[in-house]
Amino acid sequence: MHLVKKALSILWLLSFLIPAPPVSAENISPEDRAVLTQIQKDTLQYFIRMSDKNTGLTRDSSQSGSPSSIAATGFALAAMAIGQSHGWVPADYAKARIQKTLRTLLRQVEHERGFFYHFIDRHSGKRVWGSEASSIDTALLLAGALLAAEYYPGSDIERMTHEIYDRIDWQWMLNGSLLVCMGWKPEGGFLPYYWDSYNELIILQALAIGAAKNAIPAKAWQEWLRPEEIYAGQTVVHSYTGSLFTYHYTQAYIDFRNLDDRGLNYFENSKNASRANLAYSLASRQNRKSYSENSWGLTASLGLGGYKAYGGKPGEGIEDGTIAPSAAIGSLVFTPQESLRAVRFFYDNYKSQLYGFYGFKDAFNLDKNWWADQYLGIDQGISFLMLENFLNDGAVWQRFMRLKSIQRWIRLAGLNEAS
Amino acid sequence: MTYRRSQFLINKPLQFRYMAYLTATLLIIAAVSLLGLYVGIWGGVLDAFSDKRVRDDLLIASRLTQYEEARIPDTAGGGFSALSFFKQSEKLSQRQREVFKDILDKTNRELFLKLLILFVFIAWGSVYISHKIAGPLYRFSATLDQIAKGNLATRVHLRKSDEAQFIAQQFNDALTSLDLKFSQLKNIVQEHKNNPERLAVRLQEELDKIKTSASR
Repeated sequence: MHLVKKALSILWLLSFLIPAPPVSAENISPEDRAVLTQIQKDTLQYFIRMSDKNTGLTRDSSQSGSPSSIAATGFALAAMAIGQSHGWVPADYAKARIQKTLRTLLRQVEHERGFFYHFIDRHSGKRVWGSEASSIDTALLLAGALLAAEYYPGSDIERMTHEIYDRIDWQWMLNGSLLVCMGWKPEGGFLPYYWDSYNELIILQALAIGAAKNAIPAKAWQEWLRPEEIYAGQTVVHSYTGSLFTYHYTQAYIDFRNLDDRGLNYFENSKNASRANLAYSLASRQNRKSYSENSWGLTASLGLGGYKAYGGKPGEGIEDGTIAPSAAIGSLVFTPQESLRAVRFFYDNYKSQLYGFYGFKDAFNLDKNWWADQYLGIDQGISFLMLENFLNDGAVWQRFMRLKSIQRWIRLAGLNEAS
Repeated sequence: MTYRRSQFLINKPLQFRYMAYLTATLLIIAAVSLLGLYVGIWGGVLDAFSDKRVRDDLLIASRLTQYEEARIPDTAGGGFSALSFFKQSEKLSQRQREVFKDILDKTNRELFLKLLILFVFIAWGSVYISHKIAGPLYRFSATLDQIAKGNLATRVHLRKSDEAQFIAQQFNDALTSLDLKFSQLKNIVQEHKNNPERLAVRLQEELDKIKTSASR
């Protein structure tokens, strides 16, 4: 009897070790799939409606008077190509829009040695708001353009994209160092800030190291810091802010599931970061009405006091009860169960306040009864791409990983197949 | 020896008409330029500094500063700070310079286009107006050629809109008188060709009525 009891106890304990079938696009319910697909379709509308019909440049936000953002324009290129692949926009319309945008970028938009300015006038393509020629935003634009080009092999879309890529002088942005500078301004030269620690910088590093022209040295890959910390049992190489978007941007394009960086797997890292982000919210749930098992996601977003780099631990962990739906959507591929729960919760409970013509609005805060009335281009962009990866078996990853520049970066950076 | 005209308005209707043409042209150019500048600049300024635009610009300046701060670890704490406020002010003033430059560029472009169209009209108008003078001069010249060749039956024919209608009429009247005179002389010759003495008398009578510079 004692032995039986012991055996049953062991079995009971073992049952916790048997993982539940992971939630993935294959085994989500048809209803969940329909909701996520609807969100993705609606999010696409941001890029259709907020892009200038003559230049194709996309607004930073839906706020009146908003300038165009070069990163949002990159997301728009990707979204347009994906949208037509599903038949959500007519193929000839999407192609014409992508061509127009690339032509504008090549011939009209102000740049410095190939680096585009962060914010530009959507009609003229001229630099506005004294913004910097931005390395990360140029990389995000380029990533979107390269992905779009993969949908049109051998076309002028591919040719123009490579013209934009080849024009970028990545080495110049090192400013004599082995770290990529954040940007350059005509008035003051290089900014005194560099991409020196883990965050969204990997997409920039990958494109700069893998570039066919003006590539930065491969040893730059080892220059930036990878600070590691444990929070709520999750070991995370973390960004300074702990904002979830820093774990998303690169991996919207690059599939790290089978890539190791000297024993570090960034896909697993983002998984841990997402779990830690949820745990950090739950730790404050007593004080914050917005936080629960079904309602989480701390990332840089609008808040009642403006845009803030909200984030979890490890990291600075700035939070005030503001949640951005793009955080949970961006983590769908990493934490499908937890993210899906959150997305459905937001969709089912807050639709009237939080959802509009272009998908989810940027953020909300129940403590302050505050609901964003705007959409941000980059947050809509990451939501759209991660939904595509989640719902369509890594459709973005599959295309992006085929790029010669990405293959070159994998080889030069010494990344290995994950064990 | 110099000749001075003591009276400047020798043909008032004609001169007044041309003064009006010239003044109207200059007035139109001045009006288009001034109105273009006024409406372009003030319209742009009023639009750029409307309450809504100022509010939007303040929000954008604040947001763009916050974007920058979110990327820079040292200032990621957020919240109000003197530095943040300074950066927003800096962004706003930079933006205002851009806005003013845009307004001026846009106004200049629009003005240039308007003046270009106006110049085309003025060019066409000056060809039309000058033709009203050049045409009659040409006709006078051709008629004088004919007279020099001995054709007194010719006349100056002008179009209704041509200038110098009055002088053409006087010219034609004088020419008609001359033509009649010579016709009469011819008739006298024909009439008295068999009576030379009578012919000489008649010719003398008729020629005496004509005043010439080289007569004896």
